[in-house]
Amino acid sequence: MSNETKLYKVIRYVFLIAACIFVIIPLVPLIFMAFKTGAEYSSTSVLEPPKNFLNTYNFAYAIRVGKLGRAFIYTAIILTISLFFQVTMTAMVAYVLHRFDFMFKKAVKIMFTLTMFIPVVATQNLIFRMMYAVGLVNTMWSVIILYSGVGIVGIYIMLNQLDNISREIDEAAMIDGAGYYYTFLHIIFPLMKPACTTMIIINGIGLYNDFYIPNLYLNRDVQTFTVALYKFFGSMSTPFEIVAAAIIIGMIPIMIVFIFLQKYIYNGLAGSVKM
Amino acid sequence: MNIKKIMAMALSMTMAAGILGSCGGSDDDSGSGKSGGSGSASADGKIMKQISDIDTASLKGKTITLYTHGGNRVLGEEKKDADGNTYRDESYAYLKHLAEKFEQEYEIHVDLQVNSTEDDIKPLLQTQDPSIDIYTSPNFSIEEWQQYAEPYATVEEAKEYYGDYATTMYNDGTYIYALMPAKTYNNAVVYNEETIKKVGYDSIPTTQAEFEEMCTKLREAGIDPIAMHRIENWPLSTINDFANYVAGTNDAYPAMLKSDTPFSESEPMGKTIKMYTDWKSRGFFEADIYTDFGVAMDSVGNGNAAMMLFGAWVVPQIQGRVPEGGDPASIKFAPAPDFGNGQYVMASAADSYAIAKGSDDKEAARLFIEYISESAQYLADSGYIANKKGVDPVVPDLYKIIDDAVAAGTCKVLYAYATDDNSMHNEEVLSEAALLEDVKYVGNLFDSIDVTKDPDWSAYDAQVEKQNAAYKEARDFLGYSWK
Repeated sequence: MSNETKLYKVIRYVFLIAACIFVIIPLVPLIFMAFKTGAEYSSTSVLEPPKNFLNTYNFAYAIRVGKLGRAFIYTAIILTISLFFQVTMTAMVAYVLHRFDFMFKKAVKIMFTLTMFIPVVATQNLIFRMMYAVGLVNTMWSVIILYSGVGIVGIYIMLNQLDNISREIDEAAMIDGAGYYYTFLHIIFPLMKPACTTMIIINGIGLYNDFYIPNLYLNRDVQTFTVALYKFFGSMSTPFEIVAAAIIIGMIPIMIVFIFLQKYIYNGLAGSVKM
Repeated sequence: MNIKKIMAMALSMTMAAGILGSCGGSDDDSGSGKSGGSGSASADGKIMKQISDIDTASLKGKTITLYTHGGNRVLGEEKKDADGNTYRDESYAYLKHLAEKFEQEYEIHVDLQVNSTEDDIKPLLQTQDPSIDIYTSPNFSIEEWQQYAEPYATVEEAKEYYGDYATTMYNDGTYIYALMPAKTYNNAVVYNEETIKKVGYDSIPTTQAEFEEMCTKLREAGIDPIAMHRIENWPLSTINDFANYVAGTNDAYPAMLKSDTPFSESEPMGKTIKMYTDWKSRGFFEADIYTDFGVAMDSVGNGNAAMMLFGAWVVPQIQGRVPEGGDPASIKFAPAPDFGNGQYVMASAADSYAIAKGSDDKEAARLFIEYISESAQYLADSGYIANKKGVDPVVPDLYKIIDDAVAAGTCKVLYAYATDDNSMHNEEVLSEAALLEDVKYVGNLFDSIDVTKDPDWSAYDAQVEKQNAAYKEARDFLGYSWK
């Protein structure tokens, strides 16, 4: 190995280690905090380890008082329904935009892109009033409807995936007598699995962590995990050691999903996005 | 049609939709605001009602919902068990207990909901959602009060029951939007008697020099003299009351209008901010001033800090946080020291309950608020004194030191400045000069001193000049002067 290669390797490792430190350092105080007692939290530095790493009081308290179990169930229901509609509708839109020529096709594409530039907050006054008028505020359906819209980034991921699926497959299906609906549902859609998986994971994590929409629409009887977490924040004081425990509990489902589906994420991104 | 045209059209449509959306909102708002309360006025034109004026039998079986930012009065006080773990002591859930008692007496259920900030309930208030009947959040502008709350009483009606304290309730000069059924002494010195005893004091010194000497001794003993807990900034807004003590009047804040140089040391606000900043440079506040309010209360409760410069209402909360084996009665409340014009304490109406405009059960909501106004023990447990004419107040022990000092003539009571043109104009000037938040939280002036080395006041003085110039320019631009 030449000196130049060695030097390059050392520099590469230094950067990688630095990047790891940047990611891990904020997590360390969080983990320490979650195992500290309230008294320890008030009287010690955030970087000081807890006296007892077996102190699970904060975790039990967070689950019991924060009703995190119920919040997880609501979150799972909302995500499952929303992602189902989001992925199927996005795939259908992408299929139409990719395979068919029609008037104003470019304009439609541009319109989809333009929606990315409208901040969610800017339209919420109007949307909230509409949701309220139809009685959906404080029901899961308000959030499910808002989350179920077509994902713009998802459209581009799927368009790129469709580039890799030959049009000849569509043509062969048509010759065999398949209609558009059958072709899409039974032939093209299954081939778009990597893009769909990528979208489910990326958007799923985004929706799981979203606070703004659920807090606006579900702040009372039905709560997602992020809203349940927010309930620990008082107007005057917040037991941060319990919040830290709740945050760690909230990270577990995401970590499990990531561990089991990481190969799909990488494959999906590599296969569906031209990198 | 080329891409540029399409984009221009799409953008125009988006902007138009946004504008229409906003218009829809404001139309609705204006329609719902400033109603003057005619909807709930009785035949004789009176808005305010007493329990005896309400047909309580017709309200049986109803449920009303109250949103409060005071979670401790619903969930219980946050305390530490013998192992130091946090838990809620439900014996301190005074509002919950009161609601249960109310339900037993009137068969009306009160559903208590806790919100962290005003923003949590704003969407419900903006849409006039009937699911919110009463709310307590105080940080609304007058316009927002008009928009969200049912007028509770006219100022004149409220004066009949609450005297001049009525003028310190949230009002627009004609209507009161939230009943404040109690009175309290505002910001002064909340302290742990056991802690100051460690440096040889059994009470808060009465002069500034002695007070600062005590702070120095506390610092030398390794105790934080004052817990500032600045993470949310709002605790520093107490400085306005201290400016009144410096001035010996109740109008230090609106009287900024009188001066071309309100931030200079020669003026009460400027002098007070400089005094706080000087205390900071001398280490009188905790090293990490960006701590949480709960941590600050704990630190006074457990003796790591000696004092907070705060309102009497915080005393019961700190008492609830005194560790096992400690004496909650050691948390006391005393007047601020004499800053050159005598010793004072500010008095004002306290606690606030508003009826939401969208409430479907305004009568039941009103009944509960009136019930609160006559529950002297509940108000005392909350750290306040019942203030309604005809109600026997229960005075919490925490007021004893102030009462004794007032009775002895060594401390005078200043009544909170009622909202008027001067206070509103001053607020507008500060807002125009982009200084409102800064003054409220002392911001840039307080931060201009680098306490890691020997303080250099030149940066502070430069900031004073800058703020004075901005204030004068804004005041002249708006054409306001002291009336």
